[in-house]
Amino acid sequence: MTTSPPVLEVNGLMRSYGGGKTLFRKEKPVIHAINDVSFQIAEGETLGLVGESGSGKSTTGRAVLHLETPDAGSVRFRGQELTTLAGKALKPYRREMQMIFQDPYSALNPRMKVGRFVAEPMVVHGTESGSALQDRVAELFRLVGLDPAFMSRYPHEFSGGQRQRINIARAIALKPAFIVADEPITALDVSIQAQIVNLFQDLQDQLGLAYLFIAHDLSMVRYLCSRVAVMLRGRIVEIAPTEQIFSDPRHPYTQSLLAAIPVPDPDRRRPPRPPFDVSRNIPPREAQMAEVAPGHFVLDHPIQ
Amino acid sequence: MKHFFRDLCRSKAGLFGAVLLAIIVLLALFAPLLHLPDPTRGDLRARLAGPTWSGLFSPGAHPLGTDEVGRDILSRLIHGSRMTLMVASTAVVLGGIVGTFLGILAGYKGGLVDRILMRLVDIQLAIPLMLLALLVVAALGPSITNVVLVLALTSWIRYARIIRAQVLSLREREFVQSARAIGASTLRIMFLHILPNVLTPALVVGTLELARVIIMDAALSFLGLGVQPPTPSWGRMLADGRVYLSSAWWTVTFPGLAIVLTVLSVNLFGDWLRDYFDPKTRSAK
Repeated sequence: MTTSPPVLEVNGLMRSYGGGKTLFRKEKPVIHAINDVSFQIAEGETLGLVGESGSGKSTTGRAVLHLETPDAGSVRFRGQELTTLAGKALKPYRREMQMIFQDPYSALNPRMKVGRFVAEPMVVHGTESGSALQDRVAELFRLVGLDPAFMSRYPHEFSGGQRQRINIARAIALKPAFIVADEPITALDVSIQAQIVNLFQDLQDQLGLAYLFIAHDLSMVRYLCSRVAVMLRGRIVEIAPTEQIFSDPRHPYTQSLLAAIPVPDPDRRRPPRPPFDVSRNIPPREAQMAEVAPGHFVLDHPIQ
Repeated sequence: MKHFFRDLCRSKAGLFGAVLLAIIVLLALFAPLLHLPDPTRGDLRARLAGPTWSGLFSPGAHPLGTDEVGRDILSRLIHGSRMTLMVASTAVVLGGIVGTFLGILAGYKGGLVDRILMRLVDIQLAIPLMLLALLVVAALGPSITNVVLVLALTSWIRYARIIRAQVLSLREREFVQSARAIGASTLRIMFLHILPNVLTPALVVGTLELARVIIMDAALSFLGLGVQPPTPSWGRMLADGRVYLSSAWWTVTFPGLAIVLTVLSVNLFGDWLRDYFDPKTRSAK
Protein backbone atom coordinates (compact mmCIF):
# COMPACT_ATOMS: atom_id res chain seq x y z
CA MET A 1 0.00 0.00 0.00
CA THR A 2 0.96 3.62 -0.23
CA THR A 3 2.94 5.15 2.59
CA SER A 4 1.43 8.65 2.84
CA PRO A 5 -1.70 9.00 4.99
CA PRO A 6 -4.97 8.63 3.05
CA VAL A 7 -6.89 11.78 2.13
CA LEU A 8 -9.99 9.64 1.83
CA GLU A 9 -10.99 6.42 3.52
CA VAL A 10 -14.17 4.67 2.48
CA ASN A 11 -15.38 1.71 4.49
CA GLY A 12 -18.31 -0.63 3.90
CA LEU A 13 -20.28 1.94 1.90
CA MET A 14 -23.81 0.84 1.01
CA ARG A 15 -26.53 2.48 -1.03
CA SER A 16 -29.74 0.81 -2.14
CA TYR A 17 -32.80 2.02 -4.02
CA GLY A 18 -36.38 0.84 -3.91
CA GLY A 19 -38.29 -0.43 -0.91
CA GLY A 20 -40.35 2.26 0.80
CA LYS A 21 -43.84 0.83 1.10
CA THR A 22 -46.45 3.54 1.62
CA LEU A 23 -50.20 3.61 1.92
CA PHE A 24 -50.72 3.98 -1.83
CA ARG A 25 -47.65 2.23 -3.18
CA LYS A 26 -46.52 -1.33 -3.19
CA GLU A 27 -43.03 -2.02 -2.02
CA LYS A 28 -40.52 -1.95 -4.87
CA PRO A 29 -37.77 -4.55 -4.95
CA VAL A 30 -34.62 -3.33 -3.22
CA ILE A 31 -31.60 -2.91 -5.47
CA HIS A 32 -28.18 -2.59 -3.92
CA ALA A 33 -26.50 0.00 -6.15
CA ILE A 34 -23.32 -0.30 -4.11
CA ASN A 35 -22.62 -2.91 -1.52
CA ASP A 36 -19.80 -2.93 1.03
CA VAL A 37 -17.46 -0.68 -0.99
CA SER A 38 -14.15 0.08 0.72
CA PHE A 39 -11.02 1.83 -0.55
CA GLN A 40 -8.47 4.45 0.38
CA ILE A 41 -6.92 7.25 -1.61
CA ALA A 42 -3.62 8.80 -0.58
CA GLU A 43 -2.85 12.53 -0.87
CA GLY A 44 -2.04 13.36 -4.47
CA GLU A 45 -2.90 9.87 -5.69
CA THR A 46 -5.20 8.80 -8.53
CA LEU A 47 -7.41 5.79 -8.01
CA GLY A 48 -9.14 4.51 -11.12
CA LEU A 49 -12.61 3.03 -10.76
CA VAL A 50 -13.70 0.84 -13.66
CA GLY A 51 -16.59 -1.47 -14.41
CA GLU A 52 -19.52 -1.90 -16.76
CA SER A 53 -22.49 0.50 -16.84
CA GLY A 54 -24.70 0.09 -13.83
CA SER A 55 -21.95 -1.43 -11.70
CA GLY A 56 -22.24 1.41 -9.19
CA LYS A 57 -19.22 3.51 -10.14
CA SER A 58 -21.07 6.82 -10.30
CA THR A 59 -23.13 6.03 -7.21
CA THR A 60 -19.89 5.43 -5.33
CA GLY A 61 -18.54 8.81 -6.45
CA ARG A 62 -21.74 10.59 -5.53
CA ALA A 63 -22.04 8.85 -2.15
CA VAL A 64 -18.45 9.81 -1.29
CA LEU A 65 -19.31 13.48 -1.94
CA HIS A 66 -22.55 13.19 0.02
CA LEU A 67 -24.59 14.06 -3.07
CA GLU A 68 -26.41 10.89 -2.20
CA THR A 69 -26.78 9.76 1.37
CA PRO A 70 -25.28 6.33 1.91
CA ASP A 71 -27.37 3.79 3.84
CA ALA A 72 -24.43 2.46 5.77
CA GLY A 73 -20.67 2.65 5.91
CA SER A 74 -18.22 5.42 6.57
CA VAL A 75 -16.49 8.08 4.52
CA ARG A 76 -13.56 9.74 6.24
CA PHE A 77 -11.84 12.82 4.88
CA ARG A 78 -8.41 13.26 6.53
CA GLY A 79 -9.76 11.30 9.47
CA GLN A 80 -13.05 13.23 9.81
CA GLU A 81 -16.18 11.12 9.48
CA LEU A 82 -18.51 12.74 6.92
CA THR A 83 -21.57 10.48 6.82
CA THR A 84 -22.84 11.76 10.18
CA LEU A 85 -22.55 15.41 9.12
CA ALA A 86 -25.28 17.39 7.39
CA GLY A 87 -26.03 20.90 6.20
CA LYS A 88 -23.76 23.58 7.65
CA ALA A 89 -21.38 21.13 9.32
CA LEU A 90 -20.65 19.59 5.95
CA LYS A 91 -19.95 22.88 4.20
CA PRO A 92 -16.24 23.23 5.15
CA TYR A 93 -15.63 19.77 3.66
CA ARG A 94 -17.40 20.74 0.45
CA ARG A 95 -14.46 23.07 -0.16
CA GLU A 96 -12.04 20.19 -0.03
CA MET A 97 -13.91 17.73 -2.25
CA GLN A 98 -15.26 18.46 -5.70
CA MET A 99 -16.81 16.66 -8.61
CA ILE A 100 -16.32 16.82 -12.37
CA PHE A 101 -19.20 15.41 -14.34
CA GLN A 102 -19.48 13.22 -17.37
CA ASP A 103 -21.63 15.37 -19.61
CA PRO A 104 -20.01 18.77 -20.11
CA TYR A 105 -23.20 19.96 -21.79
CA SER A 106 -25.57 19.50 -18.88
CA ALA A 107 -22.91 20.35 -16.29
CA LEU A 108 -23.05 24.07 -17.09
CA ASN A 109 -26.04 26.25 -16.23
CA PRO A 110 -27.20 27.43 -19.68
CA ARG A 111 -28.49 30.71 -18.26
CA MET A 112 -25.37 31.70 -16.34
CA LYS A 113 -22.28 33.38 -17.75
CA VAL A 114 -19.34 31.02 -17.43
CA GLY A 115 -17.25 33.51 -15.47
CA ARG A 116 -19.94 33.75 -12.85
CA PHE A 117 -20.29 29.97 -12.88
CA VAL A 118 -16.59 29.49 -12.16
CA ALA A 119 -16.73 32.21 -9.49
CA GLU A 120 -19.73 30.68 -7.73
CA PRO A 121 -17.87 28.32 -5.36
CA MET A 122 -15.82 31.26 -4.09
CA VAL A 123 -18.94 33.38 -3.67
CA VAL A 124 -20.72 30.59 -1.79
CA HIS A 125 -17.80 30.09 0.57
CA GLY A 126 -16.99 33.80 0.77
CA THR A 127 -13.30 33.28 0.01
CA GLU A 128 -12.90 36.11 -2.49
CA SER A 129 -14.93 39.11 -3.58
CA GLY A 130 -14.82 42.17 -5.80
CA SER A 131 -11.82 42.59 -8.05
CA ALA A 132 -9.87 39.84 -6.22
CA LEU A 133 -12.63 37.45 -7.31
CA GLN A 134 -12.37 38.64 -10.91
CA ASP A 135 -8.60 38.18 -10.85
CA ARG A 136 -8.92 34.72 -9.38
CA VAL A 137 -11.46 33.67 -12.05
CA ALA A 138 -9.13 34.97 -14.77
CA GLU A 139 -6.27 33.05 -13.18
CA LEU A 140 -8.37 29.86 -13.13
CA PHE A 141 -9.29 30.36 -16.79
CA ARG A 142 -5.61 30.62 -17.69
CA LEU A 143 -4.79 27.62 -15.51
CA VAL A 144 -7.18 25.38 -17.48
CA GLY A 145 -6.09 26.83 -20.80
CA LEU A 146 -8.93 29.21 -21.57
CA ASP A 147 -8.81 32.87 -22.55
CA PRO A 148 -10.07 34.97 -19.58
CA ALA A 149 -11.91 37.11 -22.15
CA PHE A 150 -14.43 34.24 -22.41
CA MET A 151 -15.69 34.96 -18.88
CA SER A 152 -18.69 36.97 -20.02
CA ARG A 153 -19.97 34.38 -22.47
CA TYR A 154 -22.76 31.86 -22.10
CA PRO A 155 -22.18 28.06 -22.20
CA HIS A 156 -23.76 27.51 -25.64
CA GLU A 157 -20.87 29.40 -27.21
CA PHE A 158 -18.35 26.74 -26.16
CA SER A 159 -17.31 23.34 -27.50
CA GLY A 160 -17.39 20.16 -25.41
CA GLY A 161 -13.70 20.30 -24.56
CA GLN A 162 -13.91 23.97 -23.58
CA ARG A 163 -16.93 23.24 -21.43
CA GLN A 164 -15.09 20.50 -19.62
CA ARG A 165 -12.24 22.97 -19.00
CA ILE A 166 -14.79 25.38 -17.49
CA ASN A 167 -16.06 22.60 -15.23
CA ILE A 168 -12.54 21.81 -14.16
CA ALA A 169 -11.88 25.49 -13.43
CA ARG A 170 -14.97 25.56 -11.21
CA ALA A 171 -13.96 22.34 -9.46
CA ILE A 172 -10.47 23.57 -8.58
CA ALA A 173 -11.58 27.11 -7.66
CA LEU A 174 -11.53 26.38 -3.92
CA LYS A 175 -8.22 24.51 -4.10
CA PRO A 176 -9.69 21.16 -3.09
CA ALA A 177 -7.60 18.21 -1.94
CA PHE A 178 -9.72 15.60 -3.67
CA ILE A 179 -11.79 15.45 -6.88
CA VAL A 180 -14.21 12.82 -8.09
CA ALA A 181 -14.01 12.76 -11.89
CA ASP A 182 -17.03 10.85 -13.14
CA GLU A 183 -16.12 9.72 -16.67
CA PRO A 184 -14.86 13.23 -17.45
CA ILE A 185 -13.64 12.38 -20.95
CA THR A 186 -16.23 9.86 -22.13
CA ALA A 187 -18.39 12.47 -23.84
CA LEU A 188 -15.48 14.15 -25.63
CA ASP A 189 -13.83 13.62 -29.02
CA VAL A 190 -10.80 11.36 -28.91
CA SER A 191 -8.47 14.22 -29.90
CA ILE A 192 -9.81 16.34 -27.03
CA GLN A 193 -9.67 13.45 -24.54
CA ALA A 194 -5.87 13.45 -24.49
CA GLN A 195 -5.78 17.21 -23.87
CA ILE A 196 -8.15 16.94 -20.94
CA VAL A 197 -6.28 13.97 -19.45
CA ASN A 198 -3.04 15.95 -19.69
CA LEU A 199 -4.77 18.87 -18.00
CA PHE A 200 -5.78 16.53 -15.18
CA GLN A 201 -2.17 15.48 -14.76
CA ASP A 202 -0.78 19.01 -14.90
CA LEU A 203 -3.25 20.15 -12.26
CA GLN A 204 -2.36 17.19 -10.07
CA ASP A 205 1.33 18.10 -10.28
CA GLN A 206 0.66 21.78 -9.57
CA LEU A 207 -2.01 21.50 -6.89
CA GLY A 208 -1.35 18.09 -5.34
CA LEU A 209 -4.87 16.86 -6.09
CA ALA A 210 -6.06 13.34 -5.37
CA TYR A 211 -8.50 11.92 -7.91
CA LEU A 212 -11.11 9.23 -7.91
CA PHE A 213 -11.13 8.70 -11.66
CA ILE A 214 -14.23 6.85 -12.85
CA ALA A 215 -13.84 5.50 -16.37
CA HIS A 216 -14.70 3.01 -19.06
CA ASP A 217 -11.52 3.39 -21.03
CA LEU A 218 -8.89 1.12 -19.52
CA SER A 219 -5.99 2.49 -21.56
CA MET A 220 -6.72 5.98 -20.18
CA VAL A 221 -6.87 4.51 -16.69
CA ARG A 222 -3.54 2.82 -17.17
CA TYR A 223 -2.01 6.11 -18.26
CA LEU A 224 -3.45 8.23 -15.46
CA CYS A 225 -3.95 6.09 -12.37
CA SER A 226 -1.55 4.65 -9.83
CA ARG A 227 -4.09 2.14 -8.55
CA VAL A 228 -7.25 0.66 -10.03
CA ALA A 229 -10.42 -0.71 -8.46
CA VAL A 230 -12.73 -2.91 -10.53
CA MET A 231 -16.44 -2.88 -9.75
CA LEU A 232 -19.01 -5.56 -10.54
CA ARG A 233 -22.67 -5.28 -9.55
CA GLY A 234 -22.02 -2.82 -6.74
CA ARG A 235 -19.01 -4.64 -5.30
CA ILE A 236 -15.30 -3.96 -5.69
CA VAL A 237 -13.97 -7.31 -6.94
CA GLU A 238 -10.33 -6.39 -7.32
CA ILE A 239 -8.13 -3.49 -6.28
CA ALA A 240 -4.41 -3.27 -6.95
CA PRO A 241 -1.61 -1.02 -8.23
CA THR A 242 -2.20 -0.31 -11.92
CA GLU A 243 0.71 -2.30 -13.33
CA GLN A 244 -0.22 -5.30 -11.24
CA ILE A 245 -3.84 -5.24 -12.46
CA PHE A 246 -2.66 -5.12 -16.04
CA SER A 247 0.08 -7.71 -15.71
CA ASP A 248 -1.48 -10.09 -13.22
CA PRO A 249 -5.28 -9.77 -13.09
CA ARG A 250 -6.68 -12.33 -10.64
CA HIS A 251 -10.44 -11.92 -10.76
CA PRO A 252 -12.06 -13.47 -13.89
CA TYR A 253 -14.11 -10.31 -14.43
CA THR A 254 -10.95 -8.17 -14.48
CA GLN A 255 -9.40 -10.65 -16.88
CA SER A 256 -12.37 -10.40 -19.23
CA LEU A 257 -12.31 -6.58 -19.05
CA LEU A 258 -8.63 -6.53 -19.96
CA ALA A 259 -9.15 -9.02 -22.76
CA ALA A 260 -11.76 -6.70 -24.22
CA ILE A 261 -9.23 -3.90 -24.81
CA PRO A 262 -8.83 -3.72 -28.59
CA VAL A 263 -5.38 -4.54 -29.92
CA PRO A 264 -4.27 -1.98 -32.51
CA ASP A 265 -2.74 -4.60 -34.80
CA PRO A 266 -4.86 -6.46 -37.37
CA ASP A 267 -2.42 -9.37 -37.61
CA ARG A 268 -2.50 -10.14 -33.94
CA ARG A 269 -5.63 -11.97 -32.97
CA ARG A 270 -6.72 -12.37 -29.42
CA PRO A 271 -6.76 -15.94 -28.18
CA PRO A 272 -10.41 -16.96 -27.91
CA ARG A 273 -11.66 -17.21 -24.35
CA PRO A 274 -15.06 -17.87 -22.84
CA PRO A 275 -16.66 -14.55 -21.87
CA PHE A 276 -17.25 -13.89 -18.21
CA ASP A 277 -20.94 -14.48 -17.45
CA VAL A 278 -21.89 -11.58 -15.18
CA SER A 279 -25.42 -12.75 -14.43
CA ARG A 280 -24.24 -16.12 -13.16
CA ASN A 281 -21.44 -14.68 -11.06
CA ILE A 282 -23.00 -12.00 -8.92
CA PRO A 283 -20.76 -11.78 -5.86
CA PRO A 284 -22.59 -13.14 -2.80
CA ARG A 285 -23.06 -10.72 0.07
CA GLU A 286 -20.82 -12.61 2.47
CA ALA A 287 -17.82 -12.65 0.07
CA GLN A 288 -14.63 -11.12 1.52
CA MET A 289 -11.57 -9.46 0.03
CA ALA A 290 -8.37 -11.47 0.21
CA GLU A 291 -4.86 -10.07 -0.19
CA VAL A 292 -3.12 -12.08 -2.91
CA ALA A 293 -0.03 -9.90 -3.16
CA PRO A 294 1.09 -6.75 -1.26
CA GLY A 295 -1.61 -4.15 -1.94
CA HIS A 296 -3.46 -6.45 -4.31
CA PHE A 297 -6.90 -7.51 -3.06
CA VAL A 298 -9.37 -9.80 -4.79
CA LEU A 299 -12.93 -10.63 -3.83
CA ASP A 300 -13.06 -14.28 -2.94
CA HIS A 301 -16.15 -16.02 -4.32
CA PRO A 302 -16.82 -19.13 -6.44
CA ILE A 303 -16.85 -18.55 -10.20
CA GLN A 304 -18.99 -20.55 -12.61
CA MET B 1 -33.98 39.81 -30.26
CA LYS B 2 -33.24 40.01 -33.99
CA HIS B 3 -34.08 36.32 -34.31
CA PHE B 4 -37.26 36.89 -32.36
CA PHE B 5 -38.68 39.42 -34.84
CA ARG B 6 -37.42 37.54 -37.89
CA ASP B 7 -39.12 34.34 -36.72
CA LEU B 8 -42.25 36.26 -35.77
CA CYS B 9 -42.54 37.70 -39.29
CA ARG B 10 -42.35 34.19 -40.73
CA SER B 11 -45.42 33.01 -38.83
CA LYS B 12 -48.65 34.53 -40.23
CA ALA B 13 -50.75 33.56 -37.21
CA GLY B 14 -48.13 34.69 -34.71
CA LEU B 15 -47.60 38.00 -36.48
CA PHE B 16 -51.36 38.60 -36.73
CA GLY B 17 -51.75 37.93 -33.01
CA ALA B 18 -48.79 40.10 -32.07
CA VAL B 19 -49.91 43.07 -34.21
CA LEU B 20 -53.52 42.85 -33.04
CA LEU B 21 -52.42 42.61 -29.41
CA ALA B 22 -50.06 45.55 -29.88
CA ILE B 23 -52.91 47.67 -31.31
CA ILE B 24 -55.23 46.75 -28.43
CA VAL B 25 -52.57 47.49 -25.82
CA LEU B 26 -51.60 50.79 -27.45
CA LEU B 27 -55.24 51.90 -27.68
CA ALA B 28 -55.72 51.08 -24.01
CA LEU B 29 -52.52 52.86 -22.97
CA PHE B 30 -53.21 56.04 -24.92
CA ALA B 31 -57.00 56.15 -24.44
CA PRO B 32 -56.93 59.51 -22.57
CA LEU B 33 -55.15 61.13 -25.54
CA LEU B 34 -57.74 60.05 -28.11
CA HIS B 35 -60.34 62.75 -27.30
CA LEU B 36 -63.08 60.14 -26.92
CA PRO B 37 -66.47 61.09 -25.47
CA ASP B 38 -66.75 60.55 -21.72
CA PRO B 39 -67.51 56.83 -21.37
CA THR B 40 -69.63 57.36 -18.27
CA ARG B 41 -71.76 60.30 -19.46
CA GLY B 42 -74.96 59.41 -21.23
CA ASP B 43 -76.79 61.48 -23.80
CA LEU B 44 -80.47 60.71 -23.36
CA ARG B 45 -81.38 62.28 -26.71
CA ALA B 46 -79.18 59.69 -28.43
CA ARG B 47 -80.25 56.50 -26.60
CA LEU B 48 -79.57 53.28 -28.49
CA ALA B 49 -78.37 55.16 -31.55
CA GLY B 50 -77.04 52.83 -34.25
CA PRO B 51 -73.51 52.95 -35.60
CA THR B 52 -73.03 55.86 -38.00
CA TRP B 53 -69.97 56.62 -40.01
CA SER B 54 -71.15 59.95 -41.40
CA GLY B 55 -69.54 62.95 -39.75
CA LEU B 56 -67.04 60.69 -38.02
CA PHE B 57 -64.96 63.52 -36.61
CA SER B 58 -67.81 65.77 -35.48
CA PRO B 59 -68.23 65.96 -31.68
CA GLY B 60 -71.54 64.09 -31.47
CA ALA B 61 -70.59 61.13 -33.67
CA HIS B 62 -70.99 57.57 -32.35
CA PRO B 63 -69.19 55.28 -34.83
CA LEU B 64 -70.21 52.13 -32.95
CA GLY B 65 -73.52 53.48 -31.67
CA THR B 66 -74.66 54.16 -28.10
CA ASP B 67 -76.14 52.07 -25.31
CA GLU B 68 -79.47 52.32 -23.48
CA VAL B 69 -78.50 55.56 -21.69
CA GLY B 70 -76.78 57.08 -24.71
CA ARG B 71 -73.15 56.38 -23.79
CA ASP B 72 -70.69 56.07 -26.67
CA ILE B 73 -69.88 52.38 -27.21
CA LEU B 74 -66.48 52.91 -28.87
CA SER B 75 -65.34 55.03 -25.97
CA ARG B 76 -66.66 52.50 -23.44
CA LEU B 77 -64.91 49.67 -25.29
CA ILE B 78 -61.54 51.39 -25.26
CA HIS B 79 -61.83 52.55 -21.67
CA GLY B 80 -63.12 49.10 -20.72
CA SER B 81 -60.05 47.51 -22.28
CA ARG B 82 -57.86 49.45 -19.86
CA MET B 83 -59.58 47.85 -16.91
CA THR B 84 -59.75 44.40 -18.47
CA LEU B 85 -56.07 44.35 -19.47
CA MET B 86 -54.95 45.76 -16.14
CA VAL B 87 -56.98 43.29 -14.09
CA ALA B 88 -56.04 40.32 -16.28
CA SER B 89 -52.33 41.05 -16.51
CA THR B 90 -52.01 41.80 -12.78
CA ALA B 91 -53.79 38.54 -11.99
CA VAL B 92 -51.62 36.56 -14.42
CA VAL B 93 -48.38 38.08 -13.08
CA LEU B 94 -49.46 37.55 -9.47
CA GLY B 95 -50.56 33.97 -10.13
CA GLY B 96 -47.34 33.48 -12.11
CA ILE B 97 -45.09 34.58 -9.26
CA VAL B 98 -46.88 32.44 -6.69
CA GLY B 99 -47.29 29.44 -9.02
CA THR B 100 -43.71 29.51 -10.27
CA PHE B 101 -42.31 29.75 -6.77
CA LEU B 102 -44.49 26.93 -5.43
CA GLY B 103 -43.76 24.84 -8.53
CA ILE B 104 -40.02 25.20 -7.98
CA LEU B 105 -40.45 24.44 -4.29
CA ALA B 106 -42.52 21.30 -4.96
CA GLY B 107 -40.25 20.07 -7.74
CA TYR B 108 -36.94 20.71 -6.03
CA LYS B 109 -37.83 19.77 -2.47
CA GLY B 110 -39.93 16.75 -3.41
CA GLY B 111 -41.20 14.52 -0.63
CA LEU B 112 -43.82 15.84 1.75
CA VAL B 113 -43.75 19.45 0.47
CA ASP B 114 -44.36 18.18 -3.05
CA ARG B 115 -47.16 15.88 -2.02
CA ILE B 116 -48.99 18.56 -0.01
CA LEU B 117 -48.71 21.19 -2.76
CA MET B 118 -49.77 18.82 -5.53
CA ARG B 119 -52.77 17.51 -3.57
CA LEU B 120 -53.75 21.15 -3.04
CA VAL B 121 -53.58 21.62 -6.81
CA ASP B 122 -55.66 18.48 -7.36
CA ILE B 123 -58.29 19.68 -4.90
CA GLN B 124 -58.52 23.06 -6.56
CA LEU B 125 -58.77 21.46 -9.99
CA ALA B 126 -61.73 19.44 -8.72
CA ILE B 127 -63.67 22.60 -7.83
CA PRO B 128 -65.14 24.42 -10.85
CA LEU B 129 -63.09 27.60 -11.13
CA MET B 130 -66.10 29.78 -11.88
CA LEU B 131 -67.86 28.52 -8.79
CA LEU B 132 -64.79 29.23 -6.70
CA ALA B 133 -64.51 32.71 -8.16
CA LEU B 134 -68.19 33.41 -7.51
CA LEU B 135 -67.90 32.20 -3.93
CA VAL B 136 -64.86 34.30 -3.15
CA VAL B 137 -66.15 37.48 -4.78
CA ALA B 138 -69.58 37.03 -3.20
CA ALA B 139 -68.00 36.52 0.21
CA LEU B 140 -65.43 39.34 0.03
CA GLY B 141 -67.50 41.77 -2.02
CA PRO B 142 -66.90 42.88 -5.60
CA SER B 143 -63.87 45.16 -5.91
CA ILE B 144 -61.00 45.33 -8.37
CA THR B 145 -58.58 43.96 -5.77
CA ASN B 146 -60.82 40.99 -5.03
CA VAL B 147 -61.31 40.20 -8.71
CA VAL B 148 -57.54 40.28 -9.25
CA LEU B 149 -57.00 38.01 -6.25
CA VAL B 150 -59.64 35.55 -7.38
CA LEU B 151 -58.27 35.36 -10.91
CA ALA B 152 -54.74 34.90 -9.56
CA LEU B 153 -56.07 32.14 -7.32
CA THR B 154 -57.45 30.27 -10.31
CA SER B 155 -54.23 30.83 -12.22
CA TRP B 156 -51.38 29.71 -9.93
CA ILE B 157 -52.11 25.99 -10.24
CA ARG B 158 -51.38 25.93 -13.97
CA TYR B 159 -47.98 27.50 -13.45
CA ALA B 160 -47.23 25.28 -10.47
CA ARG B 161 -47.91 22.07 -12.38
CA ILE B 162 -45.91 22.91 -15.48
CA ILE B 163 -43.00 24.46 -13.59
CA ARG B 164 -42.85 21.49 -11.22
CA ALA B 165 -42.53 19.08 -14.14
CA GLN B 166 -39.69 21.19 -15.57
CA VAL B 167 -37.92 21.32 -12.23
CA LEU B 168 -38.13 17.55 -11.80
CA SER B 169 -35.92 17.12 -14.85
CA LEU B 170 -33.71 20.13 -14.07
CA ARG B 171 -33.05 18.86 -10.56
CA GLU B 172 -31.17 15.85 -11.91
CA ARG B 173 -29.12 17.93 -14.34
CA GLU B 174 -25.46 17.97 -13.50
CA PHE B 175 -25.14 21.71 -12.97
CA VAL B 176 -27.64 21.47 -10.13
CA GLN B 177 -25.69 18.52 -8.68
CA SER B 178 -22.55 20.58 -9.09
CA ALA B 179 -24.12 23.47 -7.16
CA ARG B 180 -24.90 21.03 -4.35
CA ALA B 181 -21.35 19.72 -4.47
CA ILE B 182 -19.90 23.19 -3.83
CA GLY B 183 -22.23 23.58 -0.85
CA ALA B 184 -24.65 26.14 -2.33
CA SER B 185 -27.77 26.70 -0.22
CA THR B 186 -31.16 25.44 -1.34
CA LEU B 187 -32.38 29.01 -1.86
CA ARG B 188 -29.35 29.79 -4.00
CA ILE B 189 -29.91 26.72 -6.15
CA MET B 190 -33.62 27.47 -6.49
CA PHE B 191 -33.20 31.11 -7.48
CA LEU B 192 -29.90 31.15 -9.36
CA HIS B 193 -29.82 27.77 -11.05
CA ILE B 194 -33.42 26.67 -11.44
CA LEU B 195 -35.49 29.86 -11.73
CA PRO B 196 -33.63 31.28 -14.78
CA ASN B 197 -34.16 27.95 -16.53
CA VAL B 198 -37.94 27.87 -16.00
CA LEU B 199 -38.68 31.50 -16.91
CA THR B 200 -39.36 30.60 -20.53
CA PRO B 201 -42.09 28.02 -19.81
CA ALA B 202 -43.52 30.39 -17.21
CA LEU B 203 -43.74 33.12 -19.85
CA VAL B 204 -45.55 30.80 -22.25
CA VAL B 205 -48.00 29.67 -19.58
CA GLY B 206 -48.49 33.35 -18.77
CA THR B 207 -49.62 34.35 -22.26
CA LEU B 208 -52.02 31.41 -22.51
CA GLU B 209 -53.33 32.17 -19.02
CA LEU B 210 -53.88 35.80 -20.00
CA ALA B 211 -56.44 34.71 -22.60
CA ARG B 212 -58.28 32.52 -20.12
CA VAL B 213 -58.27 35.17 -17.42
CA ILE B 214 -59.67 37.82 -19.78
CA ILE B 215 -62.66 35.56 -20.45
CA MET B 216 -63.14 34.87 -16.75
CA ASP B 217 -62.94 38.57 -15.97
CA ALA B 218 -65.60 39.25 -18.59
CA ALA B 219 -67.76 36.45 -17.17
CA LEU B 220 -67.43 37.82 -13.64
CA SER B 221 -68.45 41.31 -14.69
CA PHE B 222 -71.27 39.85 -16.81
CA LEU B 223 -72.60 38.34 -13.59
CA GLY B 224 -72.20 41.69 -11.85
CA LEU B 225 -69.32 40.55 -9.65
CA GLY B 226 -66.54 42.35 -11.44
CA VAL B 227 -65.78 46.01 -11.83
CA GLN B 228 -68.73 48.03 -10.63
CA PRO B 229 -70.66 50.54 -12.78
CA PRO B 230 -70.34 53.16 -14.03
CA THR B 231 -66.73 52.12 -14.77
CA PRO B 232 -66.97 50.51 -18.19
CA SER B 233 -66.11 46.82 -18.55
CA TRP B 234 -66.68 44.44 -21.44
CA GLY B 235 -68.56 41.83 -19.50
CA ARG B 236 -70.85 44.45 -17.98
CA MET B 237 -71.59 45.91 -21.42
CA LEU B 238 -72.64 42.45 -22.60
CA ALA B 239 -74.88 42.00 -19.58
CA ASP B 240 -76.56 45.40 -19.96
CA GLY B 241 -76.94 45.13 -23.70
CA ARG B 242 -78.38 41.64 -23.96
CA VAL B 243 -81.91 42.96 -23.21
CA TYR B 244 -81.74 45.02 -26.42
CA LEU B 245 -80.19 42.28 -28.50
CA SER B 246 -83.17 42.05 -30.89
CA SER B 247 -83.57 45.80 -31.39
CA ALA B 248 -80.04 47.19 -30.98
CA TRP B 249 -77.49 44.52 -32.01
CA TRP B 250 -74.53 46.86 -31.63
CA THR B 251 -74.81 47.03 -27.84
CA VAL B 252 -73.75 43.39 -27.55
CA THR B 253 -71.91 42.67 -30.79
CA PHE B 254 -69.04 45.12 -30.32
CA PRO B 255 -68.12 44.17 -26.73
CA GLY B 256 -68.37 40.51 -27.73
CA LEU B 257 -66.17 41.13 -30.73
CA ALA B 258 -63.66 42.98 -28.54
CA ILE B 259 -63.40 39.99 -26.20
CA VAL B 260 -63.05 37.53 -29.08
CA LEU B 261 -60.37 39.56 -30.85
CA THR B 262 -58.34 40.18 -27.70
CA VAL B 263 -58.42 36.54 -26.62
CA LEU B 264 -57.68 35.39 -30.15
CA SER B 265 -54.67 37.69 -30.47
CA VAL B 266 -53.27 36.62 -27.11
CA ASN B 267 -53.78 32.94 -27.95
CA LEU B 268 -52.18 33.19 -31.39
CA PHE B 269 -49.21 35.05 -29.97
CA GLY B 270 -48.95 32.62 -27.04
CA ASP B 271 -49.02 29.60 -29.34
CA TRP B 272 -46.29 31.08 -31.47
CA LEU B 273 -44.25 31.95 -28.37
CA ARG B 274 -44.52 28.35 -27.16
CA ASP B 275 -43.27 27.05 -30.49
CA TYR B 276 -40.55 29.66 -30.61
CA PHE B 277 -39.10 28.57 -27.28
CA ASP B 278 -39.52 24.84 -27.92
CA PRO B 279 -36.14 23.56 -29.11
CA LYS B 280 -37.78 20.73 -31.05
CA THR B 281 -39.93 22.90 -33.29
CA ARG B 282 -37.11 25.42 -33.49
CA SER B 283 -34.50 23.07 -34.83
CA ALA B 284 -36.97 21.89 -37.48
CA LYS B 285 -36.88 25.31 -39.09
